[in-house]
Amino acid sequence: MDRRDLFTDIRRRTFLSRGVAGLGLLALNSLLDPRLFAAASDLQSKGAVNPLHHPAKAKRVIFLYQAGGPSHLETFDYKPKLAEMNGKPMPESLTKGQQIAQLQGKPLICFGPQHKFQKFGKSQQEICSLFPHIGSVADDICIVRSMWTEQINHDPAHTIMNTGSILPGRPSMGSWIFYGLGSEAEDLPGFVVLTSAGRGGQMQPIAARQWSAGLLPGKFQGVKLNSVGDPVLYIENPAGVSAEVQRDSIEAVNKLNRLEYDSVKDPEILTRVAQYEMAFRMQTSVPSLVDMSQEPKQILEMYGAHPGDGSFASNCLLARRLAERGVRFIQLYHRDWDHHDAVKQNVALKAEEVDRPTAALIQDLKQRGMLDDTLVVWGGEFGRTPMSQGGDGRDHHIKGFSFLLAGGGIQGGLTYGSTDDLGYAAQENPVSVHDFHATMLYLLGIDHERLTIKFQGMDARLTGVSGRVVKEILA
Amino acid sequence: MSHLVLVEVSGMNRIHNSKHLLHAPALLVLGVITAGAASGEVSFNRDIRPIMADTCFRCHGPDKNARMMGLRLDIREEATRRTATGVIPIVPGKPEESAIIQRIFAKDPARRMPPVYAHKELTETQKETIRRWVAEGAKYEGHWAYQPVRRPEAPAVTQALAPIRNPIDAFIQSRLAREGLRPSPEADRRTLLRRVTLDLTGLLPTPEEGSAFLKDQSPDAYEKVVDRLLASPQYAEKQAMHWLDAVRYADTAGFHSDLPYPIWPYRDYVLRAFAENKPFDQFTREQLAGDLLPNATIEQKVASAYNRLNRMSPEGGLQPKEYLAKYGADRVRTTSTVWLGSTLGCAECHDHKFDPFLSKDFYSMKAFFADILETGRAPDIGPGAWGSKLDLPTPEQQRQREQWSWQLAQARRDLDAEAQVLAADTNWEAEVLRRYEAGELDWRYQRPVSAESAHGARLTIYNDEPVESNYYIGGTLVSERAPGRGLVVVSGPNPDNETYTVSFRPGEGAWTALGVEAVHDESLPSHRLARGSDRLVLTEVEAQVSEGASGPVRKLSFVLATPSMRIEPPELHPMAVIDGDPRTGWGVASNGDPGNLFLALRFAQKLHTTADSVVTVRLRHDSQFRRATLGRFRLALSAGEYSWPEPENLRARLKKETGDPPPSNHGGVPARVLTALRTPEDKRTEEQKRTLLDYYEWLTPDLEHRLAQIGKLEAKLGQLESQIPRVVVTEATRPRVTRILPRANWMDDTHEIVEPAIPVFLGKLETGGRRATRLDLANWLVSPRNPLTARVFVNRLWREFFGAGISKTLDDLGSQGEWPVHPELLDWLASEFMQPAWQAQGAHPWDVKHIIRTIVTSHTYRQSSLPRPEVEERDPDNRLLARQSRFRVDAEIVHDIALEVSGLLVEKFGGPSVRPYQPDGYLAALNFPKRDYSASRGEDLYRRGVYIFWQRTFLHPSLLAFDAPTREECTVNRVASNTPLQALDLLNDPIYVEAARALAQNMIQNGGRTTETRIQWAFERALTRPPRAEEQRILADLYTKNLRRFQAAPMEAKKLIATGETPAPQRIEPAELAAMTTVARAILNLHETITRN
Repeated sequence: MDRRDLFTDIRRRTFLSRGVAGLGLLALNSLLDPRLFAAASDLQSKGAVNPLHHPAKAKRVIFLYQAGGPSHLETFDYKPKLAEMNGKPMPESLTKGQQIAQLQGKPLICFGPQHKFQKFGKSQQEICSLFPHIGSVADDICIVRSMWTEQINHDPAHTIMNTGSILPGRPSMGSWIFYGLGSEAEDLPGFVVLTSAGRGGQMQPIAARQWSAGLLPGKFQGVKLNSVGDPVLYIENPAGVSAEVQRDSIEAVNKLNRLEYDSVKDPEILTRVAQYEMAFRMQTSVPSLVDMSQEPKQILEMYGAHPGDGSFASNCLLARRLAERGVRFIQLYHRDWDHHDAVKQNVALKAEEVDRPTAALIQDLKQRGMLDDTLVVWGGEFGRTPMSQGGDGRDHHIKGFSFLLAGGGIQGGLTYGSTDDLGYAAQENPVSVHDFHATMLYLLGIDHERLTIKFQGMDARLTGVSGRVVKEILA
Repeated sequence: MSHLVLVEVSGMNRIHNSKHLLHAPALLVLGVITAGAASGEVSFNRDIRPIMADTCFRCHGPDKNARMMGLRLDIREEATRRTATGVIPIVPGKPEESAIIQRIFAKDPARRMPPVYAHKELTETQKETIRRWVAEGAKYEGHWAYQPVRRPEAPAVTQALAPIRNPIDAFIQSRLAREGLRPSPEADRRTLLRRVTLDLTGLLPTPEEGSAFLKDQSPDAYEKVVDRLLASPQYAEKQAMHWLDAVRYADTAGFHSDLPYPIWPYRDYVLRAFAENKPFDQFTREQLAGDLLPNATIEQKVASAYNRLNRMSPEGGLQPKEYLAKYGADRVRTTSTVWLGSTLGCAECHDHKFDPFLSKDFYSMKAFFADILETGRAPDIGPGAWGSKLDLPTPEQQRQREQWSWQLAQARRDLDAEAQVLAADTNWEAEVLRRYEAGELDWRYQRPVSAESAHGARLTIYNDEPVESNYYIGGTLVSERAPGRGLVVVSGPNPDNETYTVSFRPGEGAWTALGVEAVHDESLPSHRLARGSDRLVLTEVEAQVSEGASGPVRKLSFVLATPSMRIEPPELHPMAVIDGDPRTGWGVASNGDPGNLFLALRFAQKLHTTADSVVTVRLRHDSQFRRATLGRFRLALSAGEYSWPEPENLRARLKKETGDPPPSNHGGVPARVLTALRTPEDKRTEEQKRTLLDYYEWLTPDLEHRLAQIGKLEAKLGQLESQIPRVVVTEATRPRVTRILPRANWMDDTHEIVEPAIPVFLGKLETGGRRATRLDLANWLVSPRNPLTARVFVNRLWREFFGAGISKTLDDLGSQGEWPVHPELLDWLASEFMQPAWQAQGAHPWDVKHIIRTIVTSHTYRQSSLPRPEVEERDPDNRLLARQSRFRVDAEIVHDIALEVSGLLVEKFGGPSVRPYQPDGYLAALNFPKRDYSASRGEDLYRRGVYIFWQRTFLHPSLLAFDAPTREECTVNRVASNTPLQALDLLNDPIYVEAARALAQNMIQNGGRTTETRIQWAFERALTRPPRAEEQRILADLYTKNLRRFQAAPMEAKKLIATGETPAPQRIEPAELAAMTTVARAILNLHETITRN
């Protein structure tokens, strides 16, 4: 059991069982705490942040993480000036003293956008024409064109995007949010991770650190759902063990553990019992969760999902099912955006993989009335250079890139921020990784400066020591 | 009800206790104790500093850049001086005149301190405490941890309520007496034995050890047990686990591709150091500066691998300077946490906010490590991989290595000498070009007529049939559906070892060589070539020919094996596929994705075939690596004399199929040779001459035997090299310049250059002007001038034996850390550690075993852990130790307990890391190379957890589930969570199912004849106690119920008992064994089984 659950539990039981005179210091404190009266209101939460710091717009997050660093220049940030400059040297005024990855020591040559853009929706948002489905939900999404980060290699860039720090060991954003808000899911973990691999050639590794609970208790870590083998590790009974044998075995374990509790009164034993019960429930719920055979055909088609193929499309559909079941933070990693070569062909390939399912997820959530309280995020760990690499590719780029946000209190149909004419650096309304995190937490009812854990003498935060809520993009 | 509340409060804090300080609820409870302790005069260190550190110092503390209004409260002279705005923050003795008192009590929120935006509120009690402190004269004290360690006298306990076995008990019990608490009585003997055995060795006592201890009535029975345990190798294994967390020892490099690097001999050094009870000061010197010690021994050099345990990145396109900065900072964080218990890492960006560390101190510390020879981009391939390394051959290995190397050099000289004579006649050059241009050297892909496997894999032949392929050209993935042209695709069951037998009819011809093409495909998990593992290993290729399908069979033998690409590692030598040894083989490992590979096998005699001839080729994969088997392949023959091995030119073929001009080149000669051949003789470079000579040697029949002899020697030597342990070590070089990097910005070269130095407030190293070295640092760390190391180490040790440190913030003894619950005890222990004086015969300075022995022989340690209402009420976190603690054992020990109880455990000290079972596909998110996992074979599956291969980015899921740290970063305080994933792991992970079955088997065979005696037998082993009647009944019921079920479903029983690699016994009826397995499994899943109490 979570400490916070326990606390609530104690408070409840104490309150019910005794008169005020009999209350211990603990309960008295709670009673006197005016915040407790907010408990019944919409500020109530099941996590460490209770009550919420302010009313939440979003209850959950689905983060469509495009790993490898999508080119903003072939997705959401159209740069005609860069096309004009194609083949010409990049102005040194932009690049001097800036970090460079694989282009170190190479000539820096402008490389125009490789695909056309068009305007979509009433809002006339400009989106690469490879993404017509996303275009079809243009009025629901906010394009942030002014993201920037500080780490230019994949591994540390993933680490900061996910944990707000470049040092390993800090909780990931999903863990922070699960910790802060708890979960509505009764028989699933509160933070679930799904991965899919693209069909292109540029598959950077990712690390489990990206969904680690870090300093927080292990129960807050992201649990990876696999498309191959057991959907959750060790969720299947051992060969030869039927559901009845398993049920009776777990029951026996729990009975024995309760006996032990009766004799030594160690509350940790009760937690163990609760976890075995939860494990057993997961064994039933996870297989039915991943079994998409009951989904109507038109839904499968809408996403382009073929159940069991482990594709991004199937994962998007699975994400919706997880969201429906109350999972707090759902993170989909789609790998293969590291387009050092052939950015033109490769972005087209990625568009085939992600365009339809991304739009389908937004539409599907909307038609179920869930988009209003589900924040959908689409983006990677950095962008790509306006300079060419090897004539047809783009290198890692941290000074400017794009994110999509939708639902959960985000203003649709808005393009926010911009990079300079050549797509090099965020110029107007730059949004840092910490700003993004602060905004996400804000939408969830959390003040990012107040969600802290003591660590090595500091109040560790997801947003480090900075972060501004980007109020301009809120609905 | 009050009972329930009480217990749950303690549960809450138990979880709290296992973590870093979390949020408010726990603090409410802690307040109870502090209030009790806070009578008498207010102490700055005990009462004020923790409050101010949390609420004031951020803006009014040591960091001059963050300081507001020029006001500093951590130093008395500053805090009592009039500020620029004309107020006096603290007027000693006069709270009403002190600005800080006015501000913290201010009614107006705009004036009140701390300000609203800081989200820090002072409680009324805290405010009152500050006021009292000012009234009492505002006496400051230096922070406790930075004061010299003094040896306090053990307090006299006048009315001892429990035995005082050593000064630890005196300190603990006098404090308990002050708090009005009684210590607990000694735990019962079974519990005590189980506890001390787990704590000292990480294993359970055997029933024999149990009964021996129960019988031993001598007064020092317990001490004898302690001495036996301390002398066991398992003691070292247990201690090493914690040290390896702290120094972040792991088997892989951590960044990016996260490839393995050679490091386990360092782990064995740590094991030996604890086993031999190496003095901790020496242990410290050897790790930080083993390479700098005069006449450094091999062991000391191995110890210096400590400095190379940081994560390293081989990623292309990283900025070397940035990564050198990262590596250096990592070392500072680790060293300062491990030895100084200080968060010096915070000073990377700015002066420390709470402790007197300057940013300059951080970089001065980093400068100590600036002499380590390394590169920002760590090479991960080839002999130079991972930088400085040390080979550790046995004398015999060294002798063989020298002998074979000498023979090899000689053989090469002889070959060159003979070749140079023969090649003087250069007609061969024109002949090669002629054949090449005539297409005579092209390989002829064969069309198999049959393809079978020995162990169940499905082989499908695609000749004219279209097959889907997803393969790489350069960095681009190409998907196509095209006729296979002889492609054999393996699918279906994926056995660990497999043999493919493929036949084809080559037609009439004369052939010089057989070609095996390994075809890569995106669907294949290992290097895109093999069906599993982290490598491809083809161990043997055999061939035969017959006339017709039923004609007499003639075996074909090979003399040379040549791959299209020579790939490290050396043990995968091509000649190994024709050496007749099923264990050795050729393939690829840890070397990116090479694309298609081609192996040419030269026939000993030219093969003449007729229209009826059938050639049958057997491709064997018999190595120890699981599923290192080909996923797709083709066979080919060469008619030319000779054709250089060459895989299909995918780029050229793609062009052909896309309508681009077809390739004009023929195959069969390496490009570099062609270039050299087409270069006029007088224009050739030395390298080209060498290339041509090599090639000539390869194609000249008269030199074949020499070449074969060289190949065999190389293969033998490669095998030998792979068996010689290697370890990365520290090699000192000219120190790099170390600058202060403002806000850690590695691109900023404008700031001050610093020299190696210890933090200024802790003193100065006297080196007579010489640049201080890592050895100077190490010497200072373990000198009496450093107040921290001994305190930090004994505090960490304390946690192992009581569940929390004396200060529970093991990684921070600074002002933000927890004030030690028993400061005098901590100092006494620190002093006893450095200079043993209590029952110290045979002990030496910095004696780890002595200190551990002192701790575990105290009454405090030996107390019962049973909760008592009055203790829970007063001290729910059990910080005062009126009882022992109860906690779940660490991840490795969860594993070890199951193996030990079941009888599967294989005890072997040290050696290469081992790989237990792990789910397939767990490493699928890794790349460069794409790889899968290959579990160990045989006894290595059942070794202790401390030996498990530590993959940093994807730690073994069972270790991860039970909170083992990834060791990407220094960890000194493991958490202990309690999650459903742990339940799923213990219930369903095959190693635990196998352990349950092995235990069941032993219960049946050795546990007497009834279910009752068998359950009792298992209980004695898992829990060190007999079962209670009710427990017996629950498990017997489970057995009866499941026995019926398995009798009704015998196939299910067989499946269950077949889990794991140890064979199930034949003599036990499957349903009985399966039912007993479920009982054993329940026992292994008990909370008590994995709890030390």
